[in-house]
Amino acid sequence: MTLEADVIIAGGGSAGLAAALASARGGARTLLLERQTKLGGMGTNALVHTFCGLFHPDVSLPWAWLNAGIPVEIGQAMMERTGQSAPDLMGKVYVLRQHPSLYAQIADELCAAESNLTILTGSEWTDLHRDGNRWQLDIMTRGAKRQLKGKALVDTTGDATGARLLNPEWCQQTESARLYRPAYICAFHGMTGTHDDGWRLQIGAMIVRAIRDGKLPPEAMGAGFRDSPFAGETFLTVDLEAGQGEWDPFDPVKRARVEREGREVALALWSFLRAEHADFKNCPPPMLPTKAGIRETARYIGDYVITGDDLGLSRRFEDEVALAGWPMEKRENARGPKFRFFDEPKPGGIPARCLFRQDVPGLYFAGRCLSADHEALASLRVMGTCMATGEAAGKLAVDFASRC
Amino acid sequence: MPDISPNAVIALIVEHQIVETDVPLTPESDLFASGLDSLAMMQLMLHLERQFGVRISPGEMTRNHFASATVLARWLSHPNRSAT
Repeated sequence: MTLEADVIIAGGGSAGLAAALASARGGARTLLLERQTKLGGMGTNALVHTFCGLFHPDVSLPWAWLNAGIPVEIGQAMMERTGQSAPDLMGKVYVLRQHPSLYAQIADELCAAESNLTILTGSEWTDLHRDGNRWQLDIMTRGAKRQLKGKALVDTTGDATGARLLNPEWCQQTESARLYRPAYICAFHGMTGTHDDGWRLQIGAMIVRAIRDGKLPPEAMGAGFRDSPFAGETFLTVDLEAGQGEWDPFDPVKRARVEREGREVALALWSFLRAEHADFKNCPPPMLPTKAGIRETARYIGDYVITGDDLGLSRRFEDEVALAGWPMEKRENARGPKFRFFDEPKPGGIPARCLFRQDVPGLYFAGRCLSADHEALASLRVMGTCMATGEAAGKLAVDFASRC
Repeated sequence: MPDISPNAVIALIVEHQIVETDVPLTPESDLFASGLDSLAMMQLMLHLERQFGVRISPGEMTRNHFASATVLARWLSHPNRSAT
């Protein structure tokens, strides 16, 4: 069985969602393929609960949206549904707390409004071919094989899956020891008390002491808590070492180990804090994510590879299609982030050339697998920026398909 | 009661690479502006306890106490501060 479309979007995370909406609204018959069963990617399946990259980086000014269009649409919908009237000022950045269940709902509603858009979920992308001037994707839904055919293809898998299936020379991957570490996030319910910066430091000190005394595993060291916009709910985030130099996000045995480690540390923290801290006394076991939050795997090499220095200097480009404002938040180990802020609090441009290669017409990429170096990725991978690059790639794909 | 100097605190921070900064730390440097984050604060707490035999309770982990090497040293050396 074959499904045909003008534009195929592979991967329904923040970038793919925005790409699919842009494509369908541009008049293209659009297929959006997702291997999980919710859209929203890390923001729904991994419980990443802050939208970063949505706002202008100058926090000496009142907050302002950075990229018009779909990022604002999603950001505003989230503010309305969570009862927030402004983002939080967190140190030197503005962030918007988001709720994973509401993000899934917003994604469903935005997609349902587009008659040109068909969503396919629960299906793995298993192969990629060039058939004349069409892209052909083989997909597999629990043993049922299908083909998708389209004039233009947008890879928003986050893993450069298309390149890895058809021509690995189109992509690159940082060495294992430096790959940004995965995050394990779960949701605690039934919390009491208020949880400000001072509270977080005290919890941190309790955890560190418990690790030293052998009451918690060393992996609990990087645990951080952030309240949801809804009372009684707090998210726990732990960065995982993931075997450091041994980490391979494409090895299923190592993936399983990372997920198990995440669950172990989350539940160890739950047992410990429930016994030791009044605010956790009534917490049932935390709600676990569908999967760990992946920060870096493989990404494309486009006609331009944007660098950390481009962003650090807030460089602008003739062909820019989106703006970046999030600092480079580097997490090469589980001992906390190292930030490189832009030299001046001004946005950096993301050129269209980071979203395609001229030698592969009709293929676009955005989100976490756009063309960037390791350092720039630490800024560009965040959800708000993924929405912006996804929307831009969706528009480029419609334009290409209309010329076929 | 330990007598802890600001320079001893700085030496500890440098030895264990608690913060990474291009500018050398002085006793008055703002530690948070120099890159001290909450996780680094925890590491520093453990090193201070080990090196100087002090005990810092979770309730004492505040940004005020860790503002600079001078503030930290003065606070840890204060005679009214419980050593346990």
